[in-house]
Amino acid sequence: MEDVLDEIVSSEDLQKFERVFHEQLHQGNVSHKAQFEYAWCLVRSKYPTDIRKGILLLKELFNSHPEGKRDYLFYLAIGNARIKEYNKALHYVKSFLEIEPANQQVLALERQINKRMEKEGLIGMAVAGGAVLALGGLVGLGIALASKK
Amino acid sequence: MTSGPYNYSYIFKYIIIGDMGVGKSCLLHQFTDKKFMADCPHTIGVEFGTRIIEVAGQKIKLQIWDTAGQERFRAVTRSYYRGAAGALMVYDITRRSTYNHLSSWLTDTRNLTNPSTVIFLIGNKSDLDAQRDVTYEEAKQFADENGLMFVEASAKTGQNVEEAFLETAKKIYQSIQDGRLDLNAAESGVQHKPASPGRPLAAPPSSRDNCAC
Ligand SMILES: Nc1nc2c(ncn2[C@@H]2O[C@H](COP(=O)(O)OP(=O)(O)O)[C@@H](O)[C@H]2O)c(=O)[nH]1
Ligand SMILES: [Mg+2]
Repeated sequence: MEDVLDEIVSSEDLQKFERVFHEQLHQGNVSHKAQFEYAWCLVRSKYPTDIRKGILLLKELFNSHPEGKRDYLFYLAIGNARIKEYNKALHYVKSFLEIEPANQQVLALERQINKRMEKEGLIGMAVAGGAVLALGGLVGLGIALASKK
Repeated sequence: MTSGPYNYSYIFKYIIIGDMGVGKSCLLHQFTDKKFMADCPHTIGVEFGTRIIEVAGQKIKLQIWDTAGQERFRAVTRSYYRGAAGALMVYDITRRSTYNHLSSWLTDTRNLTNPSTVIFLIGNKSDLDAQRDVTYEEAKQFADENGLMFVEASAKTGQNVEEAFLETAKKIYQSIQDGRLDLNAAESGVQHKPASPGRPLAAPPSSRDNCAC
């Protein structure tokens, strides 16, 4: 394991926090704590469906419990990165850094996400996409100029 | 590296625990980046860091989990104790309450780790001697009574930070040598990385032996 994105929750832990969450759900009163603990385990699962479920729970918390926002943003970034939704992950990282620009833990996560994108060839694609756009811009400009004559 | 796919022969897992604000994250960064962060924000959940060190001529990779001290993270951070070969338990020498909570941190550690886990007590912020609230002698006695290793350190000046991480590793390495730590136990917190690809463990000789993979 090289970084936090490699870490996988044990199935005992996942089950333990799932049980608490479901008990509270059954009683119709889920605490922020139980939902966060369960979501924190879900986004570290090896199964993408679990991770997606964790992301939904975190989004819900993000909208309903402002005091925990930085925790939720951080794990939303981790969850999205782990299902390779890198652009979403970076979006959460950026939102976090707008509030705490020097946070080492989040800057490290940003570096890891970029490293993965690079490894998977996604940065190259983004650059190529950018070049195409730039070229398109020039052509557009050319046409605009041409039509002025 | 000529010796194989890894440039280290062991991985040791560490955890850093203790009350919020005692300087756990600063100790981690001082050890991994040799930097002090004056305005370290509160850790979210757990933070991870690594560094390769050398003990008795062996390269060892330390995988360090720095846990957030707040109560709301406690239930989940407890699961990081499992399989820790070393536990750095930190208090702040200028805040007595952080020292008073040590017995609860120690109980958790003892309950959740295994008997061979090395527990190292760190009295951090030794640079703030003028504001000292816990004497060295008192903490030393607590450490001795509980069989813990102990130093006072400063994440700010770097004093004794290397020592704490390295002495813990030496003690773990010693336990391996003495056979007190079972490398095959799932939760020993130590992984051995056989360094010579020419001699796969317990595998019959085959043509694949010459493969460079
Ligand atoms: N003077 C001094 N301040 C320190 C030292 N270590 C940490 N701090 C400060 O103590 C505060 C809490 O540190 P932090 O590492 O975030 O504590 P944590 O909650 O245990 O991770 C920060 O403001 C640090 O700058 C130290 O050795 N000396
Ligand atoms: Mg911290």
